[in-house]
Formats: sequence, structure tokens, C-alpha cells
Amino acid sequence: MTRSEAEQHLKKIFNLDHFYDDQWATISKILNGERILLIEKTGFGKSLCFQFPATLFDGLSIIFSPLIALMRDQVNYLNSVGVSAACVNSEQTPDENNAILQQARNGGLKILYIAPERQENQEWLDAVRHMNLSMIVIDEAHCISVWGHDFRPAFRRIINLVKMLPENFPVLATTATATDRVAQDIIQQMGKNAALIRGNLLRHNFSLNVVKVKDEDEKLVWLANFLSLAQGNGLIYTGTRVTTEIISSWLQFNGIHAINYNAGLDADSRKEIENGLQSNRWKCVVSTNALGMGIDKPDIRFIIHTQIPQSPIHYYQEIGRAGRDGKPTFLYLLFNPADMDLPTHFIKNSRPSIKKYETVINALKEEPLSEHELMQKTNLTQTQVRVIKADLLDQGIVKEVLYNKRKKYEYQFNAPPLDTEPFEKLREFKFHELRKMHEYVQTDSCRMEYLCQYLGDSNVGKCEKCDNELQTNHKVEMTDFWQRKINAFKTSYFPELTFSLKGTNLVDGVAASYYGMSNVGSVIHRCKYENGGDFPDFLLKLTLRAFRKKFGNQKFDLILYIPPTESGDLVKNFSEKISTVLGIPISHGLKKAIQTKPQKIYQNFVLKKNNVKNAFIYKPEEEINGKKILLIDDIYDSGATIKEIGKYLTKLGAPIIAPLVIAKTVGGDIK
Amino acid sequence: MNYEHEFAYWMALSHLPNWGNEKINRLIIQIIDNYKISFAEFFELNAEELKHEFKLNDRQAKDIEQAKIDLPNYSFLSESLIEQGFRIIPVNSKEYSSTLKQNLKIQNAPPILYVKGNTKLLNEPSVAIVGSRRASERSLEFTRNIAKKCAENYEVVVSGFAKGVDKTALDATLEYNGYSIVVLPQGILTFGGGIKKYYKKIIEGDVLILSAYHPNAPWSVGLAMDRNKYIYGLAYTIYVAESDSKGGTWTGVLDGLKKGRKIFIRKPEPGEKNANNLLIMKGALPVDFYGNPVKENGNTIEEKLKEILSQKALPLEAVKNALKSEIEIQDKELRKVLTDIDFIDSKKIKGKTYYFLKTSLPKQGDLFSQ
Repeated sequence: MTRSEAEQHLKKIFNLDHFYDDQWATISKILNGERILLIEKTGFGKSLCFQFPATLFDGLSIIFSPLIALMRDQVNYLNSVGVSAACVNSEQTPDENNAILQQARNGGLKILYIAPERQENQEWLDAVRHMNLSMIVIDEAHCISVWGHDFRPAFRRIINLVKMLPENFPVLATTATATDRVAQDIIQQMGKNAALIRGNLLRHNFSLNVVKVKDEDEKLVWLANFLSLAQGNGLIYTGTRVTTEIISSWLQFNGIHAINYNAGLDADSRKEIENGLQSNRWKCVVSTNALGMGIDKPDIRFIIHTQIPQSPIHYYQEIGRAGRDGKPTFLYLLFNPADMDLPTHFIKNSRPSIKKYETVINALKEEPLSEHELMQKTNLTQTQVRVIKADLLDQGIVKEVLYNKRKKYEYQFNAPPLDTEPFEKLREFKFHELRKMHEYVQTDSCRMEYLCQYLGDSNVGKCEKCDNELQTNHKVEMTDFWQRKINAFKTSYFPELTFSLKGTNLVDGVAASYYGMSNVGSVIHRCKYENGGDFPDFLLKLTLRAFRKKFGNQKFDLILYIPPTESGDLVKNFSEKISTVLGIPISHGLKKAIQTKPQKIYQNFVLKKNNVKNAFIYKPEEEINGKKILLIDDIYDSGATIKEIGKYLTKLGAPIIAPLVIAKTVGGDIK
Repeated sequence: MNYEHEFAYWMALSHLPNWGNEKINRLIIQIIDNYKISFAEFFELNAEELKHEFKLNDRQAKDIEQAKIDLPNYSFLSESLIEQGFRIIPVNSKEYSSTLKQNLKIQNAPPILYVKGNTKLLNEPSVAIVGSRRASERSLEFTRNIAKKCAENYEVVVSGFAKGVDKTALDATLEYNGYSIVVLPQGILTFGGGIKKYYKKIIEGDVLILSAYHPNAPWSVGLAMDRNKYIYGLAYTIYVAESDSKGGTWTGVLDGLKKGRKIFIRKPEPGEKNANNLLIMKGALPVDFYGNPVKENGNTIEEKLKEILSQKALPLEAVKNALKSEIEIQDKELRKVLTDIDFIDSKKIKGKTYYFLKTSLPKQGDLFSQ
């Protein structure tokens, strides 16, 4: 097919007149059965490079993509132009997914989008055996490389698949962000002389800025100022889930229409926020970097980072989601020297100790185990188990085997010993990247040029739009007005306890504080473990204020408190005081049915849940029926205990169970 | 050698429908040795070239075309196999069992093996222990004795994971810390329970699970019969614990004897109801309860019958009587043996069947005179 023939076809289906040169170069290689890595910036039109040839092939083209939002958008678009496309993902019901797989088997689809994790799924593997396949596409291909900014273990299987595909079967890998090192790594892994097509990276409409501050409060001030004046809508990226909550609350406190988004929210809420983002329902969405990848929104006008990213490539990728329409777009990085601690900590602790690897290996030498079973056997956190098993899989020490559709891990005969050298190399490399990111903050030359050079595009020239080029000096002034406002905010901000537990009458509760946000955590610790006596009155006042803010004049019939494992009568005494102040009767009838261990010795939710399962009993049972219950505890960690009691009290007929605690921990293994 | 990128091709060729191992092996030899082209190049050939150069008929050329369409699907399947710790061993790999290749030759050797476990076991001295699913306790005891002997001699015990002798052979071998190859009558992906049960032995390198069939093929009687040839083929030496006069063990042993294989069989006690003695007379070598060779007077049942019938035609009871000192045999079995031997013929006279030698055929009158 010649280019002009192809462009006629293009006009007919996609109503576009021409291909860019890089697009046509890619497409003609695909039609020729070659393997290609295509690196082009966001907004270039990478997806046309596979959507177009897919319409020419007899069979089905499979697009591996980690981004559900992107799949949805592209499927909608393709269906609107009359190309039969669908996606299989975890947000659809199994019935919906099976119907789509059946359609693909029957030849009723041209394009099928799936997540790379699907390659581990028995239904998918059974179905794909019967599909007539024409092309494989790997979107976000930088996830293949450990040297990239977002290595994902699920992509390992995709690249293994590519290695085993017939020689003249077309394979396209695409990404917007890959350094030379990452590109070479991907090419080498794709094998069979994959070709590289790389466009330029300069985003002409970007104005890059760095705002240097002395502390976190200054960031809050700058944000409130900026957002009350900013044009258009945008995103704020923070470092942790908790900060998304705090910052969005702060902005709301200042009358700015903001909402927080993080991976801890349930699927419905996430979808709701993604849709709202599309229609500019909020001035800004405050999020961890889980949001925005692959969202095809043309007019994100600003992106603010309140935490320094781990590397220039992370940064370029994350800001890449803004300004796809080509109109002026503003990027801000807020930097407080102490911010280096978080990424440094992450890099240092990115891998568990060798001993923990050995614990996992030894457990698997006894029997094949699933992820949950491993957590039970080893008392490691879910994250640790996941990191360890990904490394062990990568080194061929264990394999992932399906037992009746359930994934288990098997130790392998003749497995090599654990090689820790790659871990060290990767750690050094990550520190190098973090230093480069710090250099971006400190540089006084063109910021866009700095980023592009880092990413392997060396002839971009100056952007003439960044703060250094325009010689703008961003400053924050902490006035009395702002100081007072921040204090007011801090004493009225209470963390939510959210439960998505179907079939119980447990409602969302509230904590008086984060455990580590002020001195609350250390005071609780002193009382509980260092004979510091009863919880002091300021905690009582704070807790009552949280109660009033969350529950207002809502009526409760009974106060229960969670029976302690080892800290004596602290919670009982505390609950009695609350009972007196609020005038709600208290009952001491909630007891332990069995001896439990302190929850904190368990590192993961599986063991925490097991520890408290059927552990509570209330006498006399009939007393609960019809009572609205306020449930009090000192510390909220995984929520497993409250969930267990919530289930139990629901069974006894309580119409509402509302948890109230003094402090919520941060970064526990919560699921 | 790294075959990974060729797995899909090997699988597509190995599972060509109704071709049989021989045709597939010959095609692979033509591709690799005669034309010296890559699999990728082979699959680029059009139907005319396939028919002309590779002497394929229309149906076969169509099969290749379909196999070409299936290639990406086999890529998915092979990725899933490798990811789950299975290995794919093509017939030209060093890891492929040379015993299997020598025994089964181009006619029967499977083009690829699917395995999990210690592949080195494929090229160690090997012993098959075979026998009936409903073997007697004595046969199972014999099986354990042989398994122990093999374990002591570092010989790999090959068995088929059926009830009776097979399972006993496997479990006894492992009990004595020996090595074992399990030959499956099904696809290797359908054996999850078995792999879980022998997990520790597999990861310690004591057991290799092996299948020559499509990874998803379910267990079937057909495959259970068919894989016997792979059990015999994988073994250097064969021990038979117990055989009926029909069924998998029986046909397997006869087939082996025809191919000149050395097959040891347990010499039964008087009164045992099995066909062990018959197989001894057909050339299997008798061994005692511990596997030690037993001296026989050397005549095969064919030679014996030739001698008995050399004088005149005899009815069944007379033949049985004449054999009595050598072998106890049921009427039904003896009848079958007599019918199967090609130099013996039979004729019905006055409602009674007489057996006689086809060759030295004297005048009819003499032959049938009482």
C-alpha cells in the first residue's frame, strides 16, 4: 500500500487528510511485519499508528495498556468512527469481559485493549488461543524497562510473549518518555532488530517554573494564592495519599473548588472524579500520580507538584499530561529542601532486606503459595511480598503457576541463588536520577532544554518561557493573615475513616488527628506504653471537636469502646468521659471472645484480619438491636478490628455503627 | 541452545492434526536438514511450493496454512507454559532423551516434549516398571523391589502415573530416594493436582513430569494407551510386574519384543492368573521376585508349538496337555496364541478345531488320521 492509498483510506475512516512522516514510517513498517519502538511526545498521535493498520488487517489487534481510562476513551472514539473495538478490564464485570472475549474469538472485533496483568489470567489465555491475531501493541512501553520511571512487573510477561511471536508478526511498542538507555533496553528486549522511531520532545506551550519555599506551610500559602487567581483547570500532584487529603481540605477551607484523588479510593469514586475532571467540575484535582496517565484531556492548564519527583523522566511524564491542545500551559514545582527526604527514603527502602527474601524462598521451598498465603506464612507486608516475588520471578528463582485459575508461586528446581547486584545497581541509578532532578531545581538555565537533554533530545534550544529564561523569581510571603488561617485550618481538620464494606451498617467515621501530624501520636504512645496515665484532656477536646464536625447533631443511643489487648483501661476511661460530655449512655458489654494478639505485630491485613476474626462478643446480645452506636478506639490503623466489630454489631441489629478515634496512622498496610 | 523464539513453530508443527509423529518428524528433517531454511521461511512458502518442494498433498498444505494462522496463538501458549515453569524440549535438543530417540526412531519419537522438573533425568540410565492397573499385591511388592534396586543403582524409574504398578513404582522410587520420570496420558497443563502432590520432589530434582501431547489435552483412554510407547521408549530396560493377555501392558510388551527390546518379566508363582508365563514363552526374560534373572530352558512358545505340531494336527486340549509341563494356560489365551502365530493354521473337522503347521503339509489323510 502506498502512502497516498493509505491516506485515502485514512480520510474515509478517520476523516484525517495526512499522516505525519513519523506516523507513516511507523505504519509502513507495521504493514511489513516489523517490530518498532515509537517514542513521541504526548499529543503526537501515536495511537493512530496502530489504529490505522488494525483496520487493514484481517484479524484482531491486541493493545496491551496499563491505563483503563485511556482504553475507555480510545474504545469510545473508535466505535464512534465505526471501528469495532472493546476493552477487557478489571472495572467491568466478569460477564461483560467474557462477552467481549467471545466477540473477539468470533472475529467480531478489530481492536481489543487489555491490561498487561491479563496475561496472568486463565480465561484470557484460554480465549486468546482461539483468536485470529494480526498485531500486538504495547502502550506505555517504558514500563518494560527497569531503567524507566515506571517499571511494572506485569510487562515482563508481555515482553516474553513478544520474544516468542513469529518473526514477521508486527509488534509496536509506544511511549512518550524514554531516555536513550531505556530505549536501547526496550529495543534489545523486543528482539529481532526492532526499529527505533523517535520524535522531538520540546513542548512549545509549556512554561516551567520552580517555587522554592522554606517549609510546608509556605506551600499551602502559595497554593491558596495561585489557585484563587489561576486561569483554567489543572492538577496538583503530591507525594503521599495523606497529603492529597490535607491539601484538598486546605483549598476547600479557602473556598477553592478542589477534590482529592488517590489509589485508595474505590473504583466508583475514582471513575466519578475522572469524569468530573474531563468536564472541569473542579478547579483542581489533588492527586498522587495515580491520576492523569492516559487521560485524553486537551486543556489541563496547569500542573503543580508539591513534592519533588524521583527523576526528570518522572517529571516530564507527569507534566506531559497537560496542555495537549497546544495553548499556554503552566507547570510549577514547589520545592522545600526537606522534600529530598521522601524520595531518598523510597530509594533506600525500595527493597526489603535479604533476610526477607530468604524467608519467602524458604516458604516456597515447602509448597506452592499464593500472595495471601505468603503474607500469612511470612508476616511480611503486601508491598514487601510483591517486591520480593517480582524480583524472584525476574531472576527465574520462582515461577507463577495457575492452580485452578489461582496464582501460586513455585520454587524452581535448579534455581540460581538470589543475585543482589542488580538491586545495588538500580539503587545507585535511582540516586543518580534524583540528583539530576535536584539539579533541575537548582539550574539557572533553560528548564525545558534541561529536561529534553536529559531525555536524549539534545537539539531543542531555549524555550524562552520558563522562569529562568524570563528571570521570574517566585517567592512566598508568610504574613500574619496566612499564619492565622493555617492555624485555624490545622485545628479544624479531622481525617476521615472511610469503609467500603458492603453488607454492614458501618458508616464513615472520623479521627481527631493523624498519628504523626502533631504531638498527638507521641502523647498516645506515652500513655499507652510508658505509664503516662490517662489520655490528657486536650485529646478529649480535640476528639469531641472532630465528633461535632463530622456528626453534628446526629443522635446516638449507645457508646461502645473496643476492648484493649494490652493497654489497660485507657480507652474505657476516655470513652466514659466522652459519654459524660455528650450525654450518651455507655456500655461495657463488648468483650473479647478469644485472646487476640496486638494488631501491630502483624505486618499485613491478611494476618490482622485473621487475628480479630470472630474475636468479639457482646452480652446481652439483644441490647444492641435497633441502637445507633458510636464506637470508640484510640488508634485506627488497618481498620480490621473496626470492620470485624461492624460486621458483628450489624448482625445483632445495630442500624448505624459510627467509629470515632483519636488518631489515624499513616502508611499502614491498609486495604 | 536457545529455542525460545522457535517454540511457537515447534508447537504448531508438532500438533498438526492427524499427521502422526513420523510425517511430522520427516517434515522437520526436510526443513532443517535438507532445505536448511528457518521455520519462519518455511511458513512463508505458498501452497504450490509446499506441494512441489515438500511433496505435500492438498490437505497437508491446508494444514500448514492453518498452522501458520495459529502461530501467534501458540506464542501465547508457549509464553504461558514457560512462565509457569514448564519446559519445551524439541527433538533436536541436547536435552531430549537419546534413549527415546533410539528406541522410537523417526517413526514414533515425539517431535517435542513438555516437561517440568529435572531435565537431566532424560539422559540418565533408565528403567521402566510396567504392569496392570489391577495388579496383585505380589506384583506391587515386586514393583517396590525393582524400584529399590533402581534407586540403589542410580537408575531413573519411568512410569505412567496410572493406578496399580505405575503409582507404586513412582512412590516406592521416591521412598528409596531414587529418581523418576512420570509420563502423562494427558496435556501437562491439566496435571495441576499431581504437580502439587509431588512439588517437593520436583523442585528437589528427583522427579520429571513429561507429556508428549498438546498441553491442554485432557486425559483419555486413547492417550493412556498411546503413551505406553513413550514409557517403553524412555527406558533402557523394562520390567513387567504383571500382564493380562490383553490391554496396554500386553500390547506394549509384544510390541517391544517385536522391536528386539530386552524385557524382564516377573516369573509368576504357580496358580497366578496372569499372562506373565505366556510372555516369557514369547521371549520376555523371566526374573525372580527381586529382579534377578531366572534360567529358563530356552524354548519360546513358538518353538514349542512347532515341536508339538510337527507330527500331526491336534485339537486345543491336546496342545494344552502337551504344553502342561512348561506353562499353565487358559483355553481362551491358548486359542488366541495359536491363531496369532502365522505358521499355524486350523481346520474344523466334525465340530472340533484342529491346529497344524502350514509348512510341512503332508497329505490330508495322514495329517488328520487319529
